[in-house]
Amino acid sequence: MIDLVQNTIDGVMIGSSYGLLALGFTLIFGVMRKLNLSYGPSIMIGGYLGTVLYLQYGAGLLAVAGAVVVGAVITGIYVERLCFAPMKAGAGIASMVSSFAIWMQLEQVAILILPRHTYAFPALATGLPLEFWSLLVRIDHLIVLCCALGLAAAVQLMLYRTRFGLGLRAIVGNPVAAHLVGINVQMAVLLAFAGASAIGGVAGFLVLAVDQQITPMFGMWATLKGLIAMMIGGLGSVPGAVLGGLLLGVLEAHSQWYFGPHIRDLVAYLVLFAFLVLRPGGLLGGAPETTTPLKA
Amino acid sequence: MLKVSDIVTAYGKIEALKGVSLQVESGKITCLLGPNGAGKTTLMMTIAGILQPRRGSIRLDGKELAGLSPARIVSQGVALVPENRLVFPQMSVHENLLAGAYQRRDRGGINTDIERMYARFSTLKERREQMAGTLSGGEQQMLAVARGLMSRPRVLLMDEPSLGLAPLIVAEIFDIIAELNRDGTTIFLVEQNAHMALQVAHQFFLMEQGRITFQGTPGQLAEDEVIQRAYLGTRRAAG
Repeated sequence: MIDLVQNTIDGVMIGSSYGLLALGFTLIFGVMRKLNLSYGPSIMIGGYLGTVLYLQYGAGLLAVAGAVVVGAVITGIYVERLCFAPMKAGAGIASMVSSFAIWMQLEQVAILILPRHTYAFPALATGLPLEFWSLLVRIDHLIVLCCALGLAAAVQLMLYRTRFGLGLRAIVGNPVAAHLVGINVQMAVLLAFAGASAIGGVAGFLVLAVDQQITPMFGMWATLKGLIAMMIGGLGSVPGAVLGGLLLGVLEAHSQWYFGPHIRDLVAYLVLFAFLVLRPGGLLGGAPETTTPLKA
Repeated sequence: MLKVSDIVTAYGKIEALKGVSLQVESGKITCLLGPNGAGKTTLMMTIAGILQPRRGSIRLDGKELAGLSPARIVSQGVALVPENRLVFPQMSVHENLLAGAYQRRDRGGINTDIERMYARFSTLKERREQMAGTLSGGEQQMLAVARGLMSRPRVLLMDEPSLGLAPLIVAEIFDIIAELNRDGTTIFLVEQNAHMALQVAHQFFLMEQGRITFQGTPGQLAEDEVIQRAYLGTRRAAG
């Protein structure tokens, strides 16, 4: 019983980082209806920038965090200008494929900067875990959870309480009409992309600082976890992103405990598959129009 | 007031507008008639800046609009109520109106104008918190008109406001158009419903295959035999 509760707590903690990754993902997907596969690799480039500052110049934790976010945002804007801005509105596949190409490019850049496979990353918080009734909670995990909930609330407020958020939701509703009421659509999309990359940068920094290491594989890992969490939670939904992340984390924690680490990822993909078949819009997202079942 | 000169707009190699020129006079209702595929919507989208013309100029009181972004054109005082209304379906009626005022920064003025819209369109007031996608076609059309007015345009462009609406609702929409005009709004209207348009418009243009083929007053339009047969459906007098 105690294992069950402890595993669930661990899952929620790991899942909050997935939720953060999904939050950035869902912001891009929600506004553009296009998949950015370079999302994780952009964050990874930010991570490498932070690592270089840490290893070469002994930068402190806050400076490293800033570098990761700035690196992720700059790389994110680079991806937007190259893969999304020039593409016509309907050409989602072209954007996705070109973002895959940039993914490969970014991975090679990372390997050129730091050729060994693994490098150290500064730790978020050291010290003993907190103990509540013989249940353990790591301090750094708690920080990640608070950041995830705080940022999700901030994004939700931005979307539903600000003029800029109104503009973004108008673009989601009908891009042509958004132009017609005088919204600068290109600029709003670029800003949304930069904001999503900044959230991804925060997520990436927290995950790296908990793991205390970085590898070129981090980009793929971040894209996959963010994507699965977003799909489970609901495309384009902010609460859905967090919920999907937490659910994925809990699921992974339990399957790792009962079946081992190899089965863990298998379970995650199985659940994704089940969602795609049974509830393609995710937990909180409305079913996208493309998934309307065919009538006989 | 709004002067369109020799506009050419093309989709790839196909020219949808082959040198269109017309004028919209201040304080009047100007109507553009024409069959499907004549290029009426293309012209509206070109004036609004969604499509870029290949040639020609669009001037509002002498100021060039061609080449500006849609947002800049809105701030110059041109608003388009698009074909099929295109309301923001997942946003409330109130939020749709706020979006219509996106270019404006005067909070007090925006709120006053929203109240004015609610006074004019009472169904919108009743449904202010309802998602726009759940409104009926006629209600969505009224919302689209109100949203267009929220930018305080000097010229309101309307692309087939009667499309797909029941006759009673169409009559209501045309009452609103006449009323807006009486209050001083300059209106440039695209219609296929020539009968309704004849009742409100002051000036007519006919567009066929990307060219203007007739222009005149309602009187001249009603007299023109070709137009009578093609658009008003009246039979030629025997003999």
